[in-house]
Amino acid sequence: MTLASSLVLLSGIAVLWRHSLAAYIRAFARQSFLIVVAMVLVAAQTGDERLYLVAALVFLIKVVLIPNVLQRVQRHVGADLEIHPYVNTPASLVITGALTLLSYGVALPVTALGSLPTRGGIPLALATVFVGLFILVSRKSALSQIIGFLILENGIALLAVLATFGVPLIVELGVFLDVLLGVLVMQVFVYRIRETFDTVDVDRLKKLRH
Amino acid sequence: MIPWLLEGLQCLLTLLLAPGLIGFVRLLKARLQGRRGAPLVQPYRDLAKLLDKERVVSTQASWIFHAAPFVVFASTLVASLLIPLVAAPLPFDRVGDLIVVVYLLLLGSFFLALAGLDTASPFGGMGASREMTIAALAEPTIALAIFGMGAGAGSTNLGEIVARTLAHPGSTLGSGHLMAFAALFIVMLAECGRLPVDNPATHLELTMIHEAMILEYSGPYLALVEWAAQMKFFLFLALLSNLVCPWGVAVALRPGTLGLAVAALVLKLAVLAAGIAVLETRLAKLRLFRVPELLGVSFLLALLAITSSFLVR
Repeated sequence: MTLASSLVLLSGIAVLWRHSLAAYIRAFARQSFLIVVAMVLVAAQTGDERLYLVAALVFLIKVVLIPNVLQRVQRHVGADLEIHPYVNTPASLVITGALTLLSYGVALPVTALGSLPTRGGIPLALATVFVGLFILVSRKSALSQIIGFLILENGIALLAVLATFGVPLIVELGVFLDVLLGVLVMQVFVYRIRETFDTVDVDRLKKLRH
Repeated sequence: MIPWLLEGLQCLLTLLLAPGLIGFVRLLKARLQGRRGAPLVQPYRDLAKLLDKERVVSTQASWIFHAAPFVVFASTLVASLLIPLVAAPLPFDRVGDLIVVVYLLLLGSFFLALAGLDTASPFGGMGASREMTIAALAEPTIALAIFGMGAGAGSTNLGEIVARTLAHPGSTLGSGHLMAFAALFIVMLAECGRLPVDNPATHLELTMIHEAMILEYSGPYLALVEWAAQMKFFLFLALLSNLVCPWGVAVALRPGTLGLAVAALVLKLAVLAAGIAVLETRLAKLRLFRVPELLGVSFLLALLAITSSFLVR
């Protein structure tokens, strides 16, 4: 379980050191798949059938559907490299290390108090949330920002599974719908940005066109 | 008496198997790339040929140039005494632990870099500066990964780690241990001059690192340096495989277990070498300026390893 969570975090970090957007999308799909694995493991441990259903839905939406949508966007927009992020790669990696330490520090009381078998993964899930947030603020391309948002969301989903063995099904469904619609709306936005400004680099949006 | 014979056996294994390991990786790579490749014994032939040739030394060279091959060779050989290749509690465990092993290997790189600078050839200086840059970047990762591994087992003593892992595989082989393994693997690629960092098959002046440093060496000196490099690769691989997968290492001394241990060692090395061959076939060399990013990743892995093994008990 801890292993699955650390792999989730690692595929989040993979985004920070790769440059191509296709690799970002693959890393996100891999991360979602690892979350499915973690969910199935938790479900097998607790014997909760609804968690299997949630895991199946996550697989359908986050491993198959969203990466496909993103790949189509990426092909259509024709942006394939995140060239100059606000923070360069080595600095990002160091910052990620600091964020991970921070989340361990924050989660220390929780892991010390709790007696859950899954408590080893909680700081890692928290760190995934932080890494997602960091990608969101440090990358320029609109597509990588979407990926950052999705990684953040993955971290929250993992945290929910590890800390509470899954939230009620209706909440989970609401979140899925939210994420799916969010991605679709953002897809439209990316197209619009691209049409208007001829780029998906959000740094350029500061200037008015004329 | 027997334990000391074991040390001798480890030394001998390192000396004899190291060129074969390199030959195996080269052969496998050649096959994967659709070439026939040189036979497995080619590195042995190369060494024999080099040992037989005369040595040419620049008139500008100082004693460092003459001493470096011996220092490199000896320090690598001493490191082989400390690593549990075939048996776990070794008599030399009292002398030093994982930290000593790593820095013995680094001592060799340091002297090679000095020798590269010694003759004042431009290539030697370039190679030395690159090698030292990479060593300096790899250094913190090595230290952190060692402590990550040590924290899992409660000791940095290699025999202790192996014995502890064999006794309680569940508690030591956590995610921290595996991340430390990944970090050390990347560092191994950098330190041994394997592909994403340095290309062992090329002599193109713009890209080479290790080759540039030893460009001035010839004859028996070159043989010693090459042999030491092969032993270093062998030792790193053996260290990695026995730290993560120590099964097969002889804990009790019976002739049967020892034979089994040698066979297991060869098998594990073959698996790792095959992995490296596949990796090197798939990867292109990184630009020199992207090497710090790769080593940054390995540093991060080591940091995660140490936090997850220290903070989550």
